[in-house]
Amino acid sequence: MGAVFIPSEFGLVFVPLANVQVKAGDKLRITCRYTHRGKAESVPLYAAIGNSGWAGFDEVLNASKTINVPEDAVWQTRDDYVDITITTAISAGLYDLYAKIGGTIPKVISPTLHDVVEVLVTGNSEFGEITINSYAKV
Amino acid sequence: MALYADIIEIAAPSEAQAGSRVDITVRIRNTHSAPIGIMAGGALEYGVSPWPGITFPSSSANVNAGATYSFTGYFTMPDKKVTIHAYSYWYGADSSWHFDDEMTKVVNLAEVVASQFGSIEIVSYERRL
Repeated sequence: MGAVFIPSEFGLVFVPLANVQVKAGDKLRITCRYTHRGKAESVPLYAAIGNSGWAGFDEVLNASKTINVPEDAVWQTRDDYVDITITTAISAGLYDLYAKIGGTIPKVISPTLHDVVEVLVTGNSEFGEITINSYAKV
Repeated sequence: MALYADIIEIAAPSEAQAGSRVDITVRIRNTHSAPIGIMAGGALEYGVSPWPGITFPSSSANVNAGATYSFTGYFTMPDKKVTIHAYSYWYGADSSWHFDDEMTKVVNLAEVVASQFGSIEIVSYERRL
């Protein structure tokens, strides 16, 4: 049997996601892409920052807004965003992110993005040390 | 019974949603013993007068004896069931088009499905001051 080339193959492409640094007073804009078909509908687009764990997603901050989705005869892909205001309710650290469409019973939920939001906390004014650098007659 | 331009078939969906484009094909056979010019036409019956026409971007062709030619056309689906009336014409030695055959086909109004969301993903996140 003769040798042949291995056919071209593509495996999974892993794209590491950069994290974004935020602090109290900032807004985090989360842009989502979703697919829809059927009648027009107004639904909440919801996103949350928190910690994903074995018991689910522990939300710390969240936001939602109503999006008006037009009638789509066939599956359509659309983009929209929601802004989460960063408040002092969240402590410093790395957090996860997810989004969903719908209310208490979501119609669709995004995969969770892990450790993509780094919250920085700006502390009170502090001085570390002081030294004399020079002294001269003036 | 057609004289020369026999409509064999109207190919069209059985249903369509209001406002959507409906593509149709009218297949016409030349039953004459020589090549002739054949033209397709059409109108829509759904309760309005006069009947709106069907657009055929290329509505005429010279067709060999015994051959069948497909004319493609389209229209916008109204908000009710529609009956397609397809017509055929042959080109005479008197330089005129002569009406020959007619065929009809019904396209029902499709119900819009309930709203469905298939997937959602976060495509970007950015700090806004």
